[in-house]
Amino acid sequence: MNSLIFDISITFMVIAIIPCIYRVIKGPTIPDRVIAVDAMTTVIVVILGIYSYMQESAFFMDVALVLAIISFVGTVTISKYLDEGAVF
Amino acid sequence: MIEIGLIQDIISTFLLLVGAFFVFLGMVGLIRLPDVYNRLHATTKIGTLGAFGVMLSIVAKLGLEPIGVKAITVGLFILLTAPVAAHMIGRAAHRHGVGLCKESVIDEYGKEHNK
Repeated sequence: MNSLIFDISITFMVIAIIPCIYRVIKGPTIPDRVIAVDAMTTVIVVILGIYSYMQESAFFMDVALVLAIISFVGTVTISKYLDEGAVF
Repeated sequence: MIEIGLIQDIISTFLLLVGAFFVFLGMVGLIRLPDVYNRLHATTKIGTLGAFGVMLSIVAKLGLEPIGVKAITVGLFILLTAPVAAHMIGRAAHRHGVGLCKESVIDEYGKEHNK
């Protein structure tokens, strides 16, 4: 029963990527797209966490941590670029 | 006498459902809300409550195993960095000149900085 609820949850998370892709394509401004990519990365981190539990392998959790760090650095970089016109 | 595994299952399932519910709310907000700032408000909940809830669910299920410890690390990292990133992108959007939606009532930051 408990494995079933993890299956349903990971399927739901995969379906939840579709609105992010919709917003990345349609979004009127650049911050819209950045927000959508940030949300999509968080959902992918959640997917990797659940998949690491389902496969009983700790390596997917390393992938999730690295993806979270890269997402944070990328969002901060793009926002600094939008704000000041230069990254550094 | 209730065994400990049943309690772990109940807590884990509850936290997983809370996380999935907040991811659902974030996606509904990402599609339906009219403005950059409103959508930012909706999607930050995915980072804080959704991802942290799912990671806490894995920790409650496994305990102090390698997957559990890494899960609480990922959850705490997302919990710390998602509001920082949301604040920075919101401020950058406002300074970049992205307007508010028509239904907005007040813009304190714009009044303060456009004098």
